[in-house]
Amino acid sequence: MTLLSVKDLRVTFDTEAGVVEAVRGVSFSLGRERLGIVGESGSGKTMTGRSVLRLIRPPGRIDAAEMVFDGQDLMKASEREMRALRGQRIAMVMQDPKYSLNPVMQVGAQLMEGLRQRDRLGGAEAKKKAIAALEAVQIRDPERVMAAYPHELSGGMGQRVMIAMMLIPNPDLLIADEPTSALDVTVQAEVLSILDGLVRDRGMGLIFISHDLRLVARFCDRVLVMYKGKIVEELAARDLLAAKHPYTQGLLNCLPRIGGDRGPLPGLDRTADWARA
Amino acid sequence: MIGVRGLSVTFQSKGREVRAVEDVSLSVAKGESFGLVGESGSGKSTILRAICGLAPVTAGEIEIGGAPVPTPRGKGFAERVQMVFQDPYASLHPRHTIDRTLSEPLAIHAVGDTDQRVMQALADVGLPTSFRFRYPHQLSGGQRQRVAIARALMLQPQVLLLDEPTSALDASVQAETLNLLSRLRDERGLTFLMVSHDLAVIDHMCDRVLVMQHGRAVEEMSRADLAAARMKTDYARSLFEASADRMLG
Repeated sequence: MTLLSVKDLRVTFDTEAGVVEAVRGVSFSLGRERLGIVGESGSGKTMTGRSVLRLIRPPGRIDAAEMVFDGQDLMKASEREMRALRGQRIAMVMQDPKYSLNPVMQVGAQLMEGLRQRDRLGGAEAKKKAIAALEAVQIRDPERVMAAYPHELSGGMGQRVMIAMMLIPNPDLLIADEPTSALDVTVQAEVLSILDGLVRDRGMGLIFISHDLRLVARFCDRVLVMYKGKIVEELAARDLLAAKHPYTQGLLNCLPRIGGDRGPLPGLDRTADWARA
Repeated sequence: MIGVRGLSVTFQSKGREVRAVEDVSLSVAKGESFGLVGESGSGKSTILRAICGLAPVTAGEIEIGGAPVPTPRGKGFAERVQMVFQDPYASLHPRHTIDRTLSEPLAIHAVGDTDQRVMQALADVGLPTSFRFRYPHQLSGGQRQRVAIARALMLQPQVLLLDEPTSALDASVQAETLNLLSRLRDERGLTFLMVSHDLAVIDHMCDRVLVMQHGRAVEEMSRADLAAARMKTDYARSLFEASADRMLG
């Protein structure tokens, strides 16, 4: 079943220096599966994710031949209809919990804000739900975390709080934009397995945006590789090592390996034909 | 070259004591590259900061080139030891041009020949000389990190302390930056003390690695031990298993 279908998505910015195309004709469809979008900075992967929620500010402009979420045309939806979708049905986890949590508000108050305002729950019930959400992301002492301010939490803890917050309304689609890049490898593994479990148990669709090809390959079912606003390759995650596109191969090869030789790492040849297109 | 014995760093926070580093010892020979690896909060960056005099040392000794470091560190220290920080977006002064950033250490240390040295420094890190009068916001992350490396090398130090020098960079830019660091090390016989959370990066750059957890040294390994997965402690093994490197067969 197709949850989200995107055809020929374009994001353009009209700037003084001319038109900048951040996303240039991206098409993909997503079921209740884990889709990875990989690329380096400036490849348009984040813009693609944000477009789905129509979170691109002017002068940015979104054009698409089709962008349908669960039967609803996102291109035609009013701002009011989009607000009903955002958070409730499509949620987004941003990269850095340092910037996405309110620094002067206790974590518990932030978690409960949505429950109280949107779902009109009472204080006690909202608190119960918030604590349950924190427990779902394996936070051991939710009471302490509820009373803490974001700066008192570690990066991994902060990111778990973000994930918990996003999952409270039980969305159908989760867009995770580099959810683990700011985290340590061991914490990264934990957060990923939490995400994985939630996607599996709740049957969510997941768009996992990352710069780390190897991480995406292990975690997702399908991978889109983006370069300069275009999808250069789409492949099943398990076939990653058999990638054909020189950019995908370059991304894989430029990473150091444990026990690898210590000669210069191969860089990306940005002058090749594929890079200029 | 670098000797650290029984180092402890304790921060005072809201009347509580936070022991960031407890009784850590390490020694790095001249020309060697030594890696510190661990999770955030394991104290690995604090060790670098303690060496530079940026953290409150409560016990232990720090030696550079066989002599204990003075407190405050002073100019002589800066001539021998320099640091490259993690985030090139935060470590360069946003309102100083690259030229000013690079010539400041020369002015402080009354080294002449500024013009020629700045041009040479840019060339050494592979930046076009047209970048000289740009501001940091006009540069990409990789280019900024090159500027940070150039700045660290202005006084021709013998030791570079590298605090996650590539973790804010794209994979291909990381490769370029690591290649640059390796080349500069070979050309100048530099000694590296490098902090990273990425075992693969440490393995690529360093001869020995110290695994840290909760401010304590857990295990020291040679590169061969790491490659052959001969770790003695469970924690080092779990880091190894979780390393992104293991994700592909």
